[in-house]
Amino acid sequence: MLPEATRYLKATVSLFSPNVFLNASKLSAHGAPSSLQTRRNLRVSHCFAARVPPQKKPREKVEIPGLEMVTYGDRMHYVPGLAKPVYPPWEMSFKDPRYYRSPPAQEMALYKDKPCYVFNQRTSILEGVRQAAWLTKTHVRPGLLPHLVSLAAKPENQLPDQDEHVQNAIKHSRFWDTTEPRPRKEKYSNTLLLNLLHLCATLQPTHPAVGRRILAENYSLAATWKRGEDLFQIRGRNGLLHCSMDPLPRICGEQEVLETSDQVLESFYPVSPTIDLQQVSVYKEEMNCTGFRGEYPYPHAHTLYFLETSDPNCQLRPEQFRAKMIMFTFGNALARAHKLYGTQPQSLLERPITVQAVGTNGRIFQFLVFQLNTTDLSGDDGIKNQAWLDEDVELYDFAKVRPFIKRKEVKVPAGLAGYKPETFSKFLALYLHGAA
Amino acid sequence: MALSCLTRALRSLTLSQPALLSSQTPVVQLKLGTLVASTVSQCRGFLTTASLKHNRAYLKQLDKYTIRPIGIKKSGGRDHTGKIRTRGIGGGHKQKHRWVDFQRLRYEPNKEGQPFEEKVVEVRYDPCRSADIALLAGGNRKRWIVATEKMQAGDIIKTSGVIGRMAVSANEGDAYPLGALPVGTLVNNLEIQPGRGSKYIRAAGTSGVLLRKVNGTAIVQLPSKQQVQVLETCIVTVGRVSNIDHNKRIIGKAGRNRWLGIRPSSGLWKRKGGWAGRKIKPLPPMKSYVNLPSISAN
Repeated sequence: MLPEATRYLKATVSLFSPNVFLNASKLSAHGAPSSLQTRRNLRVSHCFAARVPPQKKPREKVEIPGLEMVTYGDRMHYVPGLAKPVYPPWEMSFKDPRYYRSPPAQEMALYKDKPCYVFNQRTSILEGVRQAAWLTKTHVRPGLLPHLVSLAAKPENQLPDQDEHVQNAIKHSRFWDTTEPRPRKEKYSNTLLLNLLHLCATLQPTHPAVGRRILAENYSLAATWKRGEDLFQIRGRNGLLHCSMDPLPRICGEQEVLETSDQVLESFYPVSPTIDLQQVSVYKEEMNCTGFRGEYPYPHAHTLYFLETSDPNCQLRPEQFRAKMIMFTFGNALARAHKLYGTQPQSLLERPITVQAVGTNGRIFQFLVFQLNTTDLSGDDGIKNQAWLDEDVELYDFAKVRPFIKRKEVKVPAGLAGYKPETFSKFLALYLHGAA
Repeated sequence: MALSCLTRALRSLTLSQPALLSSQTPVVQLKLGTLVASTVSQCRGFLTTASLKHNRAYLKQLDKYTIRPIGIKKSGGRDHTGKIRTRGIGGGHKQKHRWVDFQRLRYEPNKEGQPFEEKVVEVRYDPCRSADIALLAGGNRKRWIVATEKMQAGDIIKTSGVIGRMAVSANEGDAYPLGALPVGTLVNNLEIQPGRGSKYIRAAGTSGVLLRKVNGTAIVQLPSKQQVQVLETCIVTVGRVSNIDHNKRIIGKAGRNRWLGIRPSSGLWKRKGGWAGRKIKPLPPMKSYVNLPSISAN
């Protein structure tokens, strides 16, 4: 409100001269305040209409150096013909945090000439997964590795009555969790995720390593890296994190890691890879923070859980959602690597850092496993990081509160329809990875 | 700070002289007046206004380009005094304004002077004009432009400001200076002064024809068959503007016109004067937007 208001505000000084009051004829019948020449400075603008009057350009003020302007400042009242006095802007003599104006960007202490490109949780990048892969120097492969998926096929890694429990969890989140006819999307996706996590956690008696993990929410992540000549940063809060005391084992053998150096990253000319990233000139270099302080007992990030936000300004399409998953998983892994091995770029980490991610919108799941092999991201060649992305895995087809009827035929019945058990087994496999 | 301004202003209003009877003497008023004057602080006027967000004039004051659609307020044909200045405008579906970049040759901040390419991300309907608009992404920025006939998502479009010795065989949708194009190409989005942005040939399905190139200037025929002489460094886009069947559409019913914001004309029969009827007259002389020193000697 203030910038627009100040643009239209014209400083008119109201007159309260005592000479005016002597004139008795100015009295009106009802003795209204206007009779005493009090000038109200209320002005209702025409902004209630779509067109405003054409703006009159104010008279040009000519500054002649050396010529002293005679102002009415000494006389303490307006005198026609004299110039308006110009005073230096008033500043408070003490520091009050309520009235602090931040200096412009150029005068800030952390200002740098070279801009930094920041990816935050509201960024929606144009090229999606390809751009995220280029930024993180990753080779993305479709589908999860078979030895991970087979982890959940073993009978000791399964819940008793697994399907029934999962279907109950879905029904709870989609139908029973509200007093309204239907719960909203952000509510049911959140409830579903927490229910599934709860189901997985019931395996703790048989898998004691599950007890060495904890969930954390709303932690602030920061990671910095250089790519080519540009500096990139990931900042923000991505959501739910499952962190553990033990790191995840490496997924990919050394031989395949060395083979990634032969693969070429996809380029998407003419679009630059820095498109849609926020450019900042005031930033801290070498900002790396896992989100927790040094003595946190669960330092290793195990799995990140992403939900779709309800903010209308940053609605992410599925491609952009997957890109956000890749970027934040990479950010967590990189922050951990910087802490373990220092901020100097290393072309091959002897123990690659593995982080997993699961993203969902309440029905469709995206699974991601990311392995950080190198922190030397400046060039396009050399060893690359690896990611395995399982896209658009449905947990169920429909969960309708009211049946979908077309031309008096029930096309989709009410209730849960089309449940797919493989999705939960993948979810469980990612959960138990590193514990079983 | 806004609150303190407001409270100061309101205080100056409330402390003004209360309603006085006419029988009171001026002397008493003087005393009251001086008393009040000393306590009331000087206050500059303040503006009671609604938010300026949806104002048509707000669009002209924005300086940072954005691809986000901006809400606009309908004027109903009324001007700033509130009276109707243009009849037949009012109502219609709500529209959001997408800021189209008409200056096609706009370089990015650090890459002046080189021809560049951009990728078409999507081509979509624009409620504010008859043509479709295309979202171009190139380098670090995205912008809207008027789409040409066969533009589709995924195309690569070239923009260049270089005039070579030989004419360029231009693809549809590319933008070149007039001097670089072969004579006879169909062009649209014509600039009449280089760097000012295109003002002509922007409607759906229109195209101009490059007629000839004369030492440093080029002559283009506009869709109204009027010929225009402009400098050869003016940038044009090659091809016809999109939505070519726009003039063949049938409105069908009065309601569709109302959805477009066109109010019915007055049904009163009025005698038509000399302005009405078909006129057959020679083409107006060629309009030149070039200051040639030899011609303007008179």
